[in-house]
Order: sequence, then C-alpha cells, then structure tokens
Amino acid sequence: MTDHRILNSEEHRDLRVHTEASAELGDAVMACLTVPDEFRSVQTCFPIVFRRELESDNFSALAMFGFTNGENLFLSDGKWDAPYKPLAQSIQPFLVGQPADGQGQSQVHIDMEHPRVSKSGEGVRVFDEDGQPTPYLEKIAADLGALDAGYRASGAFFDALKRHELLEPFTLEVSLKDGSKHSLVGFHIINEDRLRALDGEALGELHAAGHLMPIFMSLASLSHFAELIRRTNDRLALG
Amino acid sequence: MMSGEVSKVVILGGGTAGWLTACVLAARRPSLGITLVEAPDIPTIGVGEGTWPTMRQTLATIGIAEPEFLRECDASFKQGSRFDGWATGLADDSYLHPFTPPPAGDMAALIAAWREASPDSAFDAAMTAQAALCARDLAPRQRSMPEYNGAVNYAYHLDAGKFAALLMRHALSRLGVQHELAHVVDVKRTGDGDIAALVTRDGEEVPGDFFIDCSGQAARLIGQELGAEWVDRSDVSFNDRALAVQVPVMPGSPVASQTVGTAHEAGWLWDIGLSARRGIGCVYSSRFMDQTDAEQVLRRYVAANVPGADVETLAPRLLQFATGHRAQFWHRNCLAIGLSAGFIEPLEASAIVLIELSGRALTENFPASRAAMDIHARRFNALFRYRWDRIVEFLKLHYVLSSRDEPYWRAQRDPATIPPRLAEQLQLWRDQPPSNWDFPQVDEVFPAASQQYVLYGMGFPVPRGAAEHADAPSLARLREVREQARGMAAALPTNRAYFDNLAATASNQQPTTASA
Repeated sequence: MTDHRILNSEEHRDLRVHTEASAELGDAVMACLTVPDEFRSVQTCFPIVFRRELESDNFSALAMFGFTNGENLFLSDGKWDAPYKPLAQSIQPFLVGQPADGQGQSQVHIDMEHPRVSKSGEGVRVFDEDGQPTPYLEKIAADLGALDAGYRASGAFFDALKRHELLEPFTLEVSLKDGSKHSLVGFHIINEDRLRALDGEALGELHAAGHLMPIFMSLASLSHFAELIRRTNDRLALG
Repeated sequence: MMSGEVSKVVILGGGTAGWLTACVLAARRPSLGITLVEAPDIPTIGVGEGTWPTMRQTLATIGIAEPEFLRECDASFKQGSRFDGWATGLADDSYLHPFTPPPAGDMAALIAAWREASPDSAFDAAMTAQAALCARDLAPRQRSMPEYNGAVNYAYHLDAGKFAALLMRHALSRLGVQHELAHVVDVKRTGDGDIAALVTRDGEEVPGDFFIDCSGQAARLIGQELGAEWVDRSDVSFNDRALAVQVPVMPGSPVASQTVGTAHEAGWLWDIGLSARRGIGCVYSSRFMDQTDAEQVLRRYVAANVPGADVETLAPRLLQFATGHRAQFWHRNCLAIGLSAGFIEPLEASAIVLIELSGRALTENFPASRAAMDIHARRFNALFRYRWDRIVEFLKLHYVLSSRDEPYWRAQRDPATIPPRLAEQLQLWRDQPPSNWDFPQVDEVFPAASQQYVLYGMGFPVPRGAAEHADAPSLARLREVREQARGMAAALPTNRAYFDNLAATASNQQPTTASA
C-alpha cells in the first residue's frame, strides 16, 4: 500500500525518516533503477545491466545487488555493505512528483506508508522546528533532482544504443560451491563486438552526446558479477 | 612481609566506590584475589548521580553492555552541565559547560572568529554542536550506533543505588570477587605498622596484602586506623549542606541532556533528569542560610520547574558534608577511594570520576611487591593532591566570576578565599585564553577547554587584541560547527524517544532472552 503526499513543512514538520539499511526498511531487493549520469558511481560497486520494459519497449538500466528476487548481497547485519548506495535506493521513501497539471517544476513527494517513515521518534528529521529543510532533506532534494534529470536524459542514451544496435541479450549461469546453479535471464548488456566495430563518425557522435563514457562504465561494471558470486558463496559457507 | 608479593586485596565498603573499584581491579588484574567486606545494614550515601565521559570506557573495560547498564540503572545521557543564574542572576543568565571541546586550533583565533561571525551566539553554541543538542533535549547517539559511541562526547546520569547493585552482581557473578557481609570491629596490624587483617564482629579475620578503604565518610582504615591527616578546604569551598529529593515525572515528559545547576542566594540547586524521575537538591552554606530557608528554595524550584509535582508531600533528605581530602590518600598498604579520600560539593560531578581515576592509577601501577609499595604511594599521593587542588580551583572559578550581590556571593569573591594559583591564572587570562600551558598534565581533570567554557560562559572579557585576527581557518571551523549542529539536530532522537524505545525493545525481547 502506498500513500503519496506532497512534502510540505507544515504537515511534515516533525516527520522523521529511518535512514539505516535493512530488509524491513525495503532494502531486500535484487536490483534498483539507475541512470547513465550515475553510472560512474554505480560501477565502483555493482554490475549495471539493461532491461526492456514489456509495455513500452523502452529500456532502463539496473544496478544489480543479487541473483534472486528479494536477495541483496550488499545488505548484511543491518548495514549497507558497499561504499555507495544508488540514488533510487537512497532517496526512499521520497519520490519525484509532477504537479497535477503536468507542467512546471518537479516536486518532492513522500510515501507515508513506506516503512522508512518513522513512528517511534527515532530517525532523521526532514524539517527543523522552524520548518526549514534539514541537511538531510537538502541532500534528498539534490539526489531526487539528479535522479529526475538523469532519467529524463536516459531516453536519448537508449535511443543511441538502439540506433547503433549496441544492446544484446545477456544470460548469466552461475555455478555455486554447493553445486547449485543460478541463472540470470531477460537482461541486456552492451555488445562489445559491435562497439569495437563502430567507425570514427559513429564514435564521434556518441562522444559528442555524452554517451560514450556511460557505455564503457557499464561494460566495466560487469566485472562485479565476480563479487556477487563471491558473496553468494560466502553466504552458503555461513549456512 | 617487607618484600612479599601482593596477591590478596581487601576492599572495605560496598557503595559505588567499593564495587566500582572491585570491578575495575578484577577486570584488569584477574590474577589478584579480591574480597569486598561490607556491613549488611549500612545505607549508601548515593548522591553521586552524574558521571563523566570516562564512564563509557570504564564500563566497557569491566565488560558491561551499554543497553544493560542504561536499563538496570535507569540511566540517562549527560552531555554537560548548564549553569543558570550564576553570572548575574538575571532571567537570560545561562551557559553550558559541554563535554565536547571547542574545535582544535588556536583559541585566541577562534574567539576572534566567534566575535566576528556570530557575536550574538553564546560561546558554547559557537564552539560545539553539542549546545544545539542540549537545547533540544536530544540524545548524543542513535540506538543503531555501536555501543559506547556517540555523535558527540557524553556521560550518564544514573540511579546510584541501582548502579552499585549492578556492579555488585557483575563483580560476584562474572569477575570472581569474594563478598563478606560482616561488621568490622577491629583492625589487626603487622609489627611494622601495615594492616594485616580486618576483624569482624564474629571474631573472623579477613587477611590481605593490600587494603582499599571505601568506607565512606567514616574513613575506617585511612582515618580512624592509620590517622591520615584531613586537609580542610572549606576556606575556599563554602557549601556544607544539601537537601535532596527525588521527584517523579509525568510519562512522555522531556528528559534533559545535561545537569542543570541553578544558583540561589546562598548556594545552588542541582537538577538531574532520569526518564522516570528527577533528582533535585539544594546545596547551601550553613554560614549563610538555615535549613528552613533552604527547604523553601528547594520547594519553590520544584514547583516552578517540575510540571505536575506534588510539592507538599516532598520529604527532603539532609546531607551534611565536610569539604576536604586526605593529605595522603595512600598510606602504608592502604589506599582510600571515594568519600574516605575526600569530598567537595557535586558542582562538576567529581565524585564518581575520582573513583575511576583512582582505580585506573592503581591498576596501571599496581604494587606487585611490598618493596615497591611506598614508591607507588608517593607518586599516587602527588598526582591526586595535584588533582584535588585543580578541582578546588575549578569549582571556585564558577563563583569568583559572578557579579551577584548577596552576602554569600560577595564572600565568595573575597580575595582571601581565592587560591593563589587561580588568582594568578585569572590575571593571565586577561591577556590570553586558558591553554595547555596552564594545564600541562596529560590527564588534567579540567583541561583548558573546561576553563574556557566557564570563563566565557560567565562573560569574562575576551583577551585584549584577540578580536583582531579572525583568520580563515578559524572562521571555517566555526562554520563547520554550525553545519554539524544542523545535521546532528536533525539526526538524533530526543532522550525521551530513545529511552522509551529502549524500554519497549527490552520488553519485546524478554521471551527470547529467557528461552535462549
């Protein structure tokens, strides 16, 4: 259940938000959305893959945390066990809202039914006692703005990938220590051979539009699947 | 016996001093045999309800978990002391002595930056984010932080009776301390004058190589038996009485983040908030106020400051105390810790920390043999005489800077009552802020930071010329303090929320613990 509200300093003056990482607070997910503008940060820790939305035929990018639904290998003992937490995960329970008429500036919305919304008096305040935004809200607003802008810009990125036929289906078979197997299906990655074969003009065009950097970042990020496998095996060892 | 090994320690007295010393010694010197002897029916004084931040390390060393300590002792967090009415006695007269020191760096430059960037801000609020937390009754930590760690430096308020009981259970069940419930009626000495054994009413002897006197004001061993001289300090420190009450508070009421000390015409009142009650006391000098008037002051304070308190039914307990300490804390094979060593009014909660400091000095310099004991004793006595002198001076500092006009306060400023070293420093501080040059020891009880908070909190003039060189690094440090204050004020829960949630978690977990 969700209950989206426009955040405002009167109604939410005393609101506090739980900022720790835990399954109860909604961090037990195998992946979250990311955007090309964020790839530089995401590729330091997580594999980045692409997924085709069934309804729209549009692509989006995902930061991967695990191999099965509900499995987050970067969540251990109530801690986010990675130097970076992707924007789409760190902004919760806030979201970008559009004004009812669809015009004008994006707004900060909050899901009041989200488990991160505190009812205990613990957690971080969003407004101070005078109704001014706290440093936490300032950071959230900046992150929401970055995610929103990144999302709006991502259409051009995926159009370019499609235009140059740079996406290929991706399947990963993982054999674990205990003999069991995991397989990841239904995702896409950059086709490296196609990328190599691009001529100077195509590369120049991708570079001028700012797409070349995130393409290489996403390619490099795939090496982190080895880390995901290591973490899965470690958990098996712990029983 | 002269070169004998020291392996058996006997502690006399089972209050906070006795059990805390037993725990520290047993935890850090596990090879010692430790016996604590106490009379079965002597009530403990139990006024020391404020600790210092050192208590976190002490409890961790002893091996008590922080949530357990907080729950068992009804403890709350203490982030410093607030002094109301000390400088002028007017309505806006209030300053904080917080536990977190000012930013590192040259204090003269920081003062200049304070004067330039935020002249309307109090010294404490300019120098540390802790002031913002105290002003909002916020806890110094979140429950998800590792235990004994906080966003700022902190200590505890606690129920002293429950604290001694927790330490006793821990000492007996986890640390192997022996417990003898008996009245000591005699002391047996060796040929050369050392203590050989305590003799109980049943005629039983409790022998030992080393004796620790935690018998409180009675000073059964260090005073009555060994005759160590008492150094009277009441010429400097006038207060000699306290009327103490405990007042229940309403559920959900705010829990203060600091001890509040409110000046009155002939002394001051303490106010220590735990989650279910407040400990309030009126400290006064019997030379300047009688008990009836002191009780009036106390009742007026409770009526004005504790919502819902039933002032009529309060039955204050009178405590009388002599201010002073032993000339020698350690004499022969006997060391005095706690009230037997000395006492001064609880203005800066020095009682429990002196127990910890004594325990630490002893465990880190434990006399392995009788031959080395007199050397340790000499060093200990020199160090603790230094510490007592600094405590006496620092407490006096709170009075000499006042401009209150009652006879008591004028008498406090009489130059004849001001220790020469303090008078000298006050002269120096007109030209330069308190610094490590004034307090050069490694473990000063009250370092330069404490002196600065009191000095500038009381409105002492900043050094001439200090306001002329506000440099960029100092301005940046104070800006950081303001940013930290914003961030921490948003992130930390109120004390009330912290302790209510802590209690709720405990009752939820009880079945699990019981079945485990």
